[in-house]
Amino acid sequence: MRGMGGGFGGMMGGMRGLNSGGMNSPSMDNLSDDNALGAVYNNKVVLRLISYMGPFKSDVVKSLIAVFVYTVANASIPGLIMLAINQGIKLGDPWDLTIFGWTLFSIPANAGDFWSWHPLHLFGLAFLGLTMVHFASNYLQFVFMARVGQSILYALRMQMFSHLQDMSPAFFHRTAVGRIMSRSQSDVLQLQETFEMLVLALADVLTLAFIVIFMLLVDWQLALVCLSIVPVLFFILGYWQRFARRSFMRIRRAIAMVNGEYNQNITGVRVVQSLNRQDENLEHFKELNQEHLDANLQASRFSGGLQPMVEFLIGVGMGFGIVLVGGMMAKGGALDWGVLVAFALWIQRFFEPVRHLTMQYGVFQRSMAAGVRIFELMDLEPEVKDKPDAIEMPPVRGEIRFEDVNFHYVEGVEVLQDVNLHIRPGENVALVGSTGAGKSTLVTLIHRFADVTRGKITIDGYDLRDVRRESLVGQMSMVLQEPYLFSGNVMDNIRYCYDDATDEDVINAAKAVGAHDFIMAMENGYETILAERGVNLSVGQRQLISFARAIVGDPRIIVLDEATANIDTHTEILIQEALSHVLEGRTSIVIAHRLSTIRSADKIVVLDKGRIVEVGRHEDLLRQGGVYARLYAINYGLAHGNGAEPEGGALIPAPADND
Amino acid sequence: MSILLRITRMAYRYRTRLILAYLSFFIAIGFSLLIPWLFGKSIDTLLVISGTEIVPLNPGNGELLLLASLLLGASIMRGFFDFARTYTTDSLSQLVTYDFRNQLYDKLQHVSFAYHDKEHTGNLMSKATADVEAIRRFVNMGLIRSLEVVVRTIAVTSMMIWINWELALISLIFVPFLIIRSTLVMSRLRRMWLHVQEVNGELVTVLQENLVGIHVVKAFGSENFERRKYDKKAQELRGEYYESERLQGTNSAWMSLYFTFALGIIVWYGGWEIIRGDLTAGEMGAFLLFLNQLTFPIRSAAQIINSFSRAISSGQRIFEVLDSSSPVEEKPNAREMGRSNGHVRFEDASFAYEARSATLKGVEIDAPPGQVTAILGAPGSGKSTIVNLIPRFYDVTGGQVTIDGEDIREFTLESLRRNVGMVQQDIFLFDATIRDNIAYGVSNATEEDIINAAKIAQLHDQIMSFANGYDTWVGERGSTLSGGQRQRLSIARTVLVNPPILILDDSTSSVDVETERQIHQAMVNVMKGRTTFVIAHRLSTVREADQILVLRDGSVVERGNHSELMASRGIYRDIYELQLRPQEEVLLDASLAGGDGGDN
Repeated sequence: MRGMGGGFGGMMGGMRGLNSGGMNSPSMDNLSDDNALGAVYNNKVVLRLISYMGPFKSDVVKSLIAVFVYTVANASIPGLIMLAINQGIKLGDPWDLTIFGWTLFSIPANAGDFWSWHPLHLFGLAFLGLTMVHFASNYLQFVFMARVGQSILYALRMQMFSHLQDMSPAFFHRTAVGRIMSRSQSDVLQLQETFEMLVLALADVLTLAFIVIFMLLVDWQLALVCLSIVPVLFFILGYWQRFARRSFMRIRRAIAMVNGEYNQNITGVRVVQSLNRQDENLEHFKELNQEHLDANLQASRFSGGLQPMVEFLIGVGMGFGIVLVGGMMAKGGALDWGVLVAFALWIQRFFEPVRHLTMQYGVFQRSMAAGVRIFELMDLEPEVKDKPDAIEMPPVRGEIRFEDVNFHYVEGVEVLQDVNLHIRPGENVALVGSTGAGKSTLVTLIHRFADVTRGKITIDGYDLRDVRRESLVGQMSMVLQEPYLFSGNVMDNIRYCYDDATDEDVINAAKAVGAHDFIMAMENGYETILAERGVNLSVGQRQLISFARAIVGDPRIIVLDEATANIDTHTEILIQEALSHVLEGRTSIVIAHRLSTIRSADKIVVLDKGRIVEVGRHEDLLRQGGVYARLYAINYGLAHGNGAEPEGGALIPAPADND
Repeated sequence: MSILLRITRMAYRYRTRLILAYLSFFIAIGFSLLIPWLFGKSIDTLLVISGTEIVPLNPGNGELLLLASLLLGASIMRGFFDFARTYTTDSLSQLVTYDFRNQLYDKLQHVSFAYHDKEHTGNLMSKATADVEAIRRFVNMGLIRSLEVVVRTIAVTSMMIWINWELALISLIFVPFLIIRSTLVMSRLRRMWLHVQEVNGELVTVLQENLVGIHVVKAFGSENFERRKYDKKAQELRGEYYESERLQGTNSAWMSLYFTFALGIIVWYGGWEIIRGDLTAGEMGAFLLFLNQLTFPIRSAAQIINSFSRAISSGQRIFEVLDSSSPVEEKPNAREMGRSNGHVRFEDASFAYEARSATLKGVEIDAPPGQVTAILGAPGSGKSTIVNLIPRFYDVTGGQVTIDGEDIREFTLESLRRNVGMVQQDIFLFDATIRDNIAYGVSNATEEDIINAAKIAQLHDQIMSFANGYDTWVGERGSTLSGGQRQRLSIARTVLVNPPILILDDSTSSVDVETERQIHQAMVNVMKGRTTFVIAHRLSTVREADQILVLRDGSVVERGNHSELMASRGIYRDIYELQLRPQEEVLLDASLAGGDGGDN
C-alpha cells in the first residue's frame, strides 16, 4: 500500500502513481540541478536573451548611442583639459585653435583683461558644452537601459508564467514549487541584472578603448610607457578573481546555512523548547555563523589585497611613467605640461573600469547558469495541448463516456485499464475503491489534467482532445479534497475567474451551499479578507467557500472529492446538506467517503487496481457480495476488528480512501 | 541616538580593530595627500610660467627619479594602509553582526510561545537578514567610513585652500548642496525601494498561490484569468522598478555633472590665475588631482548619511527582539526538578493572551500518576492552551499548575520540560536524518535506544523499508513522510526522552484505516506508565481515558469517564451521537448484507 503513496498528504491523489514510495528524488522532474555553476559565457543563452531585445530595438539603439557618447565624453575630459592648458593659458599674441595639427580658427590677442575675449573663455565654454553632453548621455544611458531592462524582465516573467499555466498537473506534482519559484523569481532577476551588466561592461570596455586611443594619439611613446603596466594588471586580476570567486561562493553557501538554521529554529521552536535543545542548537549555530565570519574575512583579504596592487601600479604609472619619462621628455620642451596632467587623469580613470570588469565575472557566471535554468523550464513541452484545429465546446449537456480508456504515467504501469463508463446527463455517480485504485486519476481525466494513453473520453460525443480545453473546462467544475483559497476577500474567492458573475450571483451561490450565514457572521461579511489562503477559517468553512466557487459558474458537470479531514461536527452537517444542492441537476461524479453520499448515488462505480469491477446501486452491490461489499465491511465495519463494542472506531469516520 | 550608541557599544568590544581602522585610514589619507602634491612639485621643477612665457627648467634626472620614487613610495604606503583599513573595518563589522546573529538566535529559542504566536517567521527572518545587514553597513560606513570621509574631505579641502583659496572656493562651493540633494534623493529612493519590494511581494504571492493551487486553476480552466492577474502585477512592478532606476540614474548623472563642471572651473579660472601669476602650473596639476580625490567621499556621503537612518530603524527592530522579556521566566532561585511521579494538578488556573478575554477560566484538573486525561472540545475552546501550560510554554495568568504538589514555576524550565514530553499537533521535522530527528532531544542516545523508540512508535518497520533506513533524510529538503509517519516519528522522538508526563495533541489528518490502527497502537504503547493528557479526536482513545474533560469557551463543562458522561446526557453525549451516526448506519446495513466485516 505504501508503494502507491497511500496516506501521503497532498491534494492531487491521481498523480501519486508516479511518486512511488513517496520519495521525491530530484531526478524526477526533468530539471537540472539548481546549484550548478557553468561557464562564464554561454552563447545560446546570450543570443536568446538578445532576441528578447527585439521588440525594443529603438530603445536598445538609443541606449547604445547614449553609452557610446557618454564614454567618448568621459574619456575626452582629460583631453580637453590638456588642450585648454596647452593652448588656452597664453597671453599676448593672436591665438589659433589647433587640434591635432589642424588650425580651426584664429582670435586676436588679449592684453590681460579677464572680461574681454580670451581663448581660455572659449575653453570654458567648450567645457560647459562637454559637461552638458556628458550629463545628458549619462542620464539617457540610465533611462534607456532601465527601460529596456525592465521590459525584458517583464516579458520574461510573463512568458514564464504563461508557460507554467500550460504545463500539466503532473509536471507540478513532480516538481517542487520552490524550484519553480526560484526559477521564475531569482533567476529572472538575475537575467535582468545580466542585461544591465552587458550594457555597463560595454561602457567599461569602450571607456578603456577610448582612453588608450586618446593617450596613443596624444603621445604614443609616453602612452606605451605608461600602459606597459596594463598587461601586468590584467594578469594579476585574472589570477585574483579565481580566488575571489571561490571565496564568494563560500560566503553564499555559508549564509544559506546560517539563514536555513535560523529559519528552522524559528519554525521548530516549539519542539526545540519542548526537548530542551537550546544549548546544543546555539553551539551548532555558532559553528555555522563562525564559518560565515571566516568566509567573509577571507573574502575581505582577497578583495582588500587588490587595493595595494592597484595602487602600486598607479604609482608606477604616475611616478616612473609620467614624472620620470614624461619629465625627461618635457625637459627639453618636447612635451607640453598639459600632456602630463592629462596623462595623470587618464591613468586614474583607467583603473575604475578594469576593476568593474573583473568584478562582473562572477555575475556573468551566475547569469549564464540562471539563463540555462530559465530556458530549460521554458522549453519543456506541455503534456496537454490544444490541437491547432481544436474547436470551441458548445454548451454542455453532461453526457460522459469512457471508451476503452487506458492511462499510465510511466510506461507499463497502467493506472487505469479498459475503463468503459457511460454517465447520462444529470446522473449522480459515486466512485468507490481502495487506496490507489485510480479514482482520482479517473475524475481528473475528465478535466483533461492529462490525456488518456489509449481509448477516448467524450463529453456529449466530443472527444476531449478535439475541443479547446478552456472552453470545455469552463463549463465544468471540481472541488478538491483539500480546499484551496486565494488571498483576497470572500467575494473574490467565490467569484474567482467568472468575472461576469454579479455580487448577487456570488451571494446566491453561497446561500445554495449554506455558506452565507457564517460569511455574514464575519466582521466584514463578503468583504472579509482571507489571511494567508484562509487560515482564519476552519477547514470546513474553507470547503464551503470552495463549494460556492464551484457552482457560481453554473457548471453542467461537477466532480468532487469528498472532504473528510479535520472538520468540526457543525460544519460537517452543513457540508452534507450543501452537497445535495451542489449536485442537483448536474452530472456529478463524487469520490465518495460518506455512506450517505454513496447510498443516494444513482450509480456506484467500484474501481479496483485501475479497472471498473462493479457498477450498480448500493443495495444491489451489497447483495452481490463482491468487492463493494468487502470494501464496505472493511471501512465501515472497523468496529468488528476492534473489539466487541459496536461504537468503536473513529469519532470522525475514517475515509474509505485518501489517495 | 541611544540605538546607535548601543550598536557602537557592541563594536567597542573589538576596540583594537576599531582603533587600528582609524589609525590606518589616517595614515592612508596622509600618504594620499602626498601624491598630488608630489605630482605638482614635479611639474614645477620642470617649468615656470611667468606671464606669457613658459620657461622650461632643466632639473637633473636624479631629481626626477627621486620624485618618481617618492610618488611610488607614497602610492605603495597608501595602498597598504588602505588595505589595513578595509580589512579591519570588514572584520569589525562582521564580528559585530556575528554577535548580533548569535544573540538573536539564542533569544528566539528562549522566548515563550506567546512571542512566536504573534511574530511571523518572515518578519523574524528579515530581522536576521536585512536588519543585521543594515547594522553591518552602519558599523562599516557610519562608524568608520563616515569619519574617514570627514577627515579626507577636510584634509583635501585644506590642501586646496592652502594652494589657492579663491580657486578652492569657487570649485567647491556646490559641494554642500550636492550632498544635501543626494541625501534627499537617497531617502526617496529608499522609500521607492520599499514600495518595489512590496509590489514584488504581491507578485510573488500571485505566483506562489498559482503554483500551489494549480489544480484549482486547471479545474476551472482559469489559466487566462491567472495570466491577467499576474500581468497586472508584473506591469505595476515594471513601472515601479523603472521609476526607481531612473531616479538613481538621475542622481548619479548629477554627481558626474558636478565633477566635470568643477574640473572645467579649475582649468578656466585656474588658467586665468596662472596667467595672472597667482598659481603655478604644478599647483594646478595638483589641484585637479585633489579634486579627483574628493569624488569618492562626496559620492558616498549620501550613502553614509543613509546608513545612519537605516541603522536606527533596523537597530530598533533587532533590539525589540533582544529586549523582549519573555512572559515565561525562570525564577532566580529556581530549583532542579528530579524525576517526578507525574501528579499534575491545575488549581483554579486561568489564562489570557495579553489584553484579550480569558481563554481559560478557573480550570481545575487532578491527574494522578499514570492516569490518562482526555480533553475534548470545539476548535478554540482552549484544549491546546491547557496542555501548553504544563511545560510552561505559556504561564498561567491566574491560579497555578503543580506537579507532585509544587508550583511548576518553582523549577528550572529545563528540568521541568525534561519531565514533560509533548507530541504536538503541527509536527515539525528538522532537516536531518530520521535518526537525528528521533534523537533530537537526547543527543547521546544509543542506536539501540533509537530503534527501540521507533519500535514503540510503530515506525521501525517502515523506516527499515526505506532504502536508507534510519539515514533517510527528512525535513524540508528531504523526502516527504506521510502525515501518519510524521506523527509517529514525533511520538518516537518524545518516547526517547522518556518523560513521566506526556502530552499528545492528536491531530486528525485523514489517514487510512491501517495508519489509523498503527497510530492508535503507538499511542497505547507510549501512554503506559505515564501521566498522559490527550487532546483526542479518536473515539478509542477517549473511551479508554481515566477521565474525560469537555471544554467550552475555556471552562471545563463536563468531566468523568466515558460511561459516566454517556449517562449524564450532556454535551459529550451529543458529540458522541452526532459523530457516530455513520457507524450506526453501518450496523444497519451490515445486517442487511449479512455483515462479515472485520478482516484487515
